[in-house]
Amino acid sequence: MDGPDVGWYLIVAAILFGIGALGVMLRRSPLIVLLSLEIMLNAANLTLVAFARQQGNLDGQIFALAVMAVAAAEVAIGLGLIVAMARRRVPLDVDQASALRG
Amino acid sequence: MIAGAWVCLLSPLAGAVAITLAGGRISRSTAAWISVLTTFVAFAGALVAFFGLWAADPADREQVSTAYTWLASGDFEVQLQILLDTLSSTLMLIVSGVGGLIVWYSMGYMKGDEQERRYFAYMSLFVFSMLMLVEAGNFLLMLVGWGLVGLASYLLIGFWHHKPEAVAAAKKAFVMNAIGDATFALALVLLIWATGTVEFGDVFDQVDSLSSTTVNLVALGLLGGALAKSAQIPLHTWLPDAMEGPTPVSALIHAATMVTAGVYLLVRASPIFEAAPDVQHLAAILGAITLLVAGVIALVQWDIKRVIAYSTMSQIGYMFLGAGVGAYGYAIFHLMTHAFFKALLFMTAGLVIHHLEGEQDIRKMGGLKSVMPRTHVAFAVGGLALMGIPIFSGFWSKDGIVSAAFSSGDALGYTLAAAGLVGALLTGLYTTRLYFAVWRGAQSDLVKEHAHEGHGEGPRSMTIPVGVLTVLATIGGLVVIPGVWEPFLHWIDETAEPLVQATVAEDYALSAVAVLLALLGFFLARHAFEKGRQFVTNPGIWRVLERKLYFDEAYDALFYRPAAALSVALRRNVEEPVVERSLDEIGSGAIQVGGEVGRVQSGLLRTYAIAVAFAVSVLIIVFVAVR
Amino acid sequence: MGNVLVWLVWFVAAAACLGTGMAVVTMTNPFFSALALIGNLASLAVLFLLLSAEFLAAAQVLVYAGAVMVMFLFVVAYLGGRADAPWAGGHPLVRGAAVVAAAALLTEIVVVLGLAWGDNLTDPAEISDSFGDPAQIGQAFLTDHLLAFEITSIVLLVAAVGGVVLGTTPEKEEETA
Repeated sequence: MDGPDVGWYLIVAAILFGIGALGVMLRRSPLIVLLSLEIMLNAANLTLVAFARQQGNLDGQIFALAVMAVAAAEVAIGLGLIVAMARRRVPLDVDQASALRG
Repeated sequence: MIAGAWVCLLSPLAGAVAITLAGGRISRSTAAWISVLTTFVAFAGALVAFFGLWAADPADREQVSTAYTWLASGDFEVQLQILLDTLSSTLMLIVSGVGGLIVWYSMGYMKGDEQERRYFAYMSLFVFSMLMLVEAGNFLLMLVGWGLVGLASYLLIGFWHHKPEAVAAAKKAFVMNAIGDATFALALVLLIWATGTVEFGDVFDQVDSLSSTTVNLVALGLLGGALAKSAQIPLHTWLPDAMEGPTPVSALIHAATMVTAGVYLLVRASPIFEAAPDVQHLAAILGAITLLVAGVIALVQWDIKRVIAYSTMSQIGYMFLGAGVGAYGYAIFHLMTHAFFKALLFMTAGLVIHHLEGEQDIRKMGGLKSVMPRTHVAFAVGGLALMGIPIFSGFWSKDGIVSAAFSSGDALGYTLAAAGLVGALLTGLYTTRLYFAVWRGAQSDLVKEHAHEGHGEGPRSMTIPVGVLTVLATIGGLVVIPGVWEPFLHWIDETAEPLVQATVAEDYALSAVAVLLALLGFFLARHAFEKGRQFVTNPGIWRVLERKLYFDEAYDALFYRPAAALSVALRRNVEEPVVERSLDEIGSGAIQVGGEVGRVQSGLLRTYAIAVAFAVSVLIIVFVAVR
Repeated sequence: MGNVLVWLVWFVAAAACLGTGMAVVTMTNPFFSALALIGNLASLAVLFLLLSAEFLAAAQVLVYAGAVMVMFLFVVAYLGGRADAPWAGGHPLVRGAAVVAAAALLTEIVVVLGLAWGDNLTDPAEISDSFGDPAQIGQAFLTDHLLAFEITSIVLLVAAVGGVVLGTTPEKEEETA
């Protein structure tokens, strides 16, 4: 095989996923959280494509395309939410947005 | 003829239902007439049944009529059936006849009372219940009637429910009767378990095959019920208090009929008692004890009705004595004569009370003879019958019991006979005391006040029944003249064969002794009255007797106080902290837990995300491990 | 020779990927974070190319980097200074827990990979030259995975409607506020 094994790609994806998770859990600005979420989704995409290559089956790539579409939709809505929050003068701080407190 | 029995049973029920359903739409006197007429219709039915039975072949004199199967559980069945035999037909006549007279009497007595309709509904209910008790064809139906008469008694004693004493007396009567009902029911349970049936005939056939313990326990249970219903020692304390009810109620329920239900039970279930002779003797002994104790207590009572009540207790003691030694015919005979003269005494007392506008204390009476002469005659007849003076009815029946006890021979028999004779003396004493205090001597102030009211001695609805009973009390005993003519005894013998049979000589000899003792009592009492003295001068004894031998206090200390203390303690220590507060605490606990759990929902995105991350990491481990 | 090149490209792309990823998470200025993400997406596209997913790489650049990130940048521009929240904050326990959780996840994944590496991940399957072609992907979408295709389009429609709704309502309320 020329190039790294599929496993190396998976490791990259895993680390990327961890980075994204860290970002989601540590950052307080919803915008950055959304960006980190994108990183996590991309890591998942990478995993899917890598396995598609490994198995010789195109299904992984199909799945990744669907993920991409859904991620785009989700970002649109998320940004809409953030803009709405900003318009209502809600502080853009995840720790202060606890209106759903039970 | 069996149709007559059904009519007899159902007519008062129809009356009670009619009065209840009509409510305020009928006038009070209409309600009274409904009650009276339905009771007399019942009497007519009883007459038809009786004559039908009389005309029938002796072999045919036990008829069971079943309406339908009331209960069925596997093999065990209970029918809704009535039994018409010589015993039940006699009781039917007594209950409906004397009952009819008393209901008629109460038309006049209760006139003007606001709650007349309720009263007559209850009276009809009572007559129905008593007839059901008497006509029942099996033990379970008898228990139904038993319970219903207890209910009717409670309702009628507490009729004037604005009087706290009446309410308390009603409760007391009901509770003590409930004790008897409980033992009766337990005996029934045992009976069903042992024999698998409750029908009289079937049970009696199987009695011999039962173990002695079973039979003794059953008999004991039945005896307990009889003791409570008939107010014998030790379950007697409710009867004097029951005098709080209206006088006709006292006459009907607590003299003529309900309290005699115990005697009826002893005679009806005689095969069971004969198989458990110890219990039968116990019944006789308790009857003798009650006879004496009640007679003595009657000597110190000041309330006219209470004297008569204790007299009732004492006379029923005679009946228990008779049934206990096996003289069933005489026991029932005394039941009948007692119904006549005791109802008569109560009713005349009622006339007196009515005339004196509610006064019942004999110390305030005296010299009524000239004011109410005809009532005086009636009372005198009743008193003579009670004391057992020939030829009045009580003479024939009471002495028969004493001689039967004597002829049963052994030490127990002689003692019982002696008790009966002493009882005759006591009866003479207290009856004469009562008679003189009320009717003779100088007129008291109260009597003088009411002496001028020239409206006669009472309305006809009250005087006619009294007249009828006077006649019955005089000649009612002539159906048994020992050695000459004993149709009544032969009649009852067909259902319950007596265990003992006194010789004619014994009979007349003991009768003579008893009459002499009664006359002795009469003279002693008259002498004491003329000297203005009472019999018991020792204040200590007086107090003991007045407190009715402290039975009430003893029961209070033995049963009521511990029970009350226990229930208060349970309430304070168990019910409140455990049950009530636990419910509150379950509620507040749930709210608290909810609050604690709710704290997890912080609403913070980060926390949720971290929680999800942790959960996923755990799950990964689980999946890997499982695989 | 080709092998070394592939490894080199791979290495650079992977390093860039991870580096920009870290940058997204650590930068305070959201504008720079967004730019870093664009770099991340680009390096990912390179990785996709290495994995014979040509169409996917193109789609990644066009859709993600081209459309999504532009949206992000628009919003960042709109929010301006208001998007600046401190880097981290909040309860120290929460921060600690976050790090721990992320580390745990990472470790686990690596471990699992290690366990599975030996047998399953060494020999990739033989593929044709047209693997990852748009034609092949289009065919797969319209035959085997038609349902996913349709549902995805519905999701996009819903998102569009939702976006419009989220965008318009505040106007009336701002007038009354």
